[in-house]
Amino acid sequence: MKLSKEEFLSLSCIEHETLGAWIEQEWLIQGGSSDEPSFTDIDIARARLIRELSVDLGVNMEGVGIILNLVDQLHGVRRTLMELRKAVRMTPEGFG
Amino acid sequence: MVTTLTDPYKILGVAPTASADDIQKAYRKLAKKLHPDLNPGNPEAEEKFKEVAGAYDLVGDAEKRKRFDSGEIDATGAERARQSYYRDYASAEQDHPYTDNSGFADFMESEDALAELLRRSARAQANRRGRDLEFRLPIEFIESIAGANKRLTLPDGGTLDVTIPPGVTEGQVLRLRGKGTPGAGKGDPGDALIQLEIKPDRSFTRQGDDIYLELPISLTEAVLGARIRVPTPTGTVTMSVPKGSNTGSTLRLRGKGAPKQTGGDGDQLVKLKVVLSKEPDPELEAFVTNWEGGKTFNPREDLTP
Repeated sequence: MKLSKEEFLSLSCIEHETLGAWIEQEWLIQGGSSDEPSFTDIDIARARLIRELSVDLGVNMEGVGIILNLVDQLHGVRRTLMELRKAVRMTPEGFG
Repeated sequence: MVTTLTDPYKILGVAPTASADDIQKAYRKLAKKLHPDLNPGNPEAEEKFKEVAGAYDLVGDAEKRKRFDSGEIDATGAERARQSYYRDYASAEQDHPYTDNSGFADFMESEDALAELLRRSARAQANRRGRDLEFRLPIEFIESIAGANKRLTLPDGGTLDVTIPPGVTEGQVLRLRGKGTPGAGKGDPGDALIQLEIKPDRSFTRQGDDIYLELPISLTEAVLGARIRVPTPTGTVTMSVPKGSNTGSTLRLRGKGAPKQTGGDGDQLVKLKVVLSKEPDPELEAFVTNWEGGKTFNPREDLTP
């Protein structure tokens, strides 16, 4: 699902300035062109996570950046592990 | 929905008399440990987090807490229905802009089969470059030699300005960097690849860097010689046709061909063709009738056995 900037702001309950700051920090990456940015479901879920981290859990700006970075790395590793599992399953003899 | 009637204070690990501040502190402490996005592979944490969040929902809010303490409401249904977490999207198989595979970059430096597998998956997933878009662009022969600026209309209605450098060849591909589809994440956009299709020209042909033109001349010009105007792809030039020129004589115009890859320009080769006027000319007929040289000259001398 592709969302315009306005739709994204209202669904994520965040302000225009907040979005700008988050994009500046590279916490969020907007799609589309700079004239017509677009967002998707994953951006909404990520914005919610950022809000929960900072508002509900009281994590400060630096902390949010560190957490997002580590969470993304963790997902990268988990994905690789899943691919690895798939690849090992397809190899009857396993490795070696 | 199954709900357990549990004491929200117990779930949060605080006394029923705890201050709002203490309740928030307790909640934050637990949530930092249990938040599903901080435990992407742990369903147990998610269950616990739901309980904790439900409890905090009830007693973390002053108004609700008052009503709960007075027995007006209980913990039933306190559990928040939650749509989805970031991890549900981040763990999906397809690529997303936040994909980060640097967490095992060090593993990939080794040479074993595992590393190869990791490398392959990293290549597939990393911030992928956008796709290249391919187009075909027909251009005139003259444009291929002299260069041109063209505007291409894209399937999505957009336009692409293409500068055609002088001297392009049939089938040559121009690459417009960054004009393809946008990249994923931090990946660069793809390129637009434009394959040129040169339309045949009525007069000019090209061989290598040289351009060929067949140029009709009159009998007078052939016999007596003349200065005539000759078209080239980059404009008209004046050329001397020497006295006694014949059909098939080829004259070279230096530097009037296609630009060479190595610098400089090819030549234009002008092949002459003597053409008589369409209307019969009585004066010419009378002259030729009495022309002795015309009767003795045999242009087919070499052909006769």
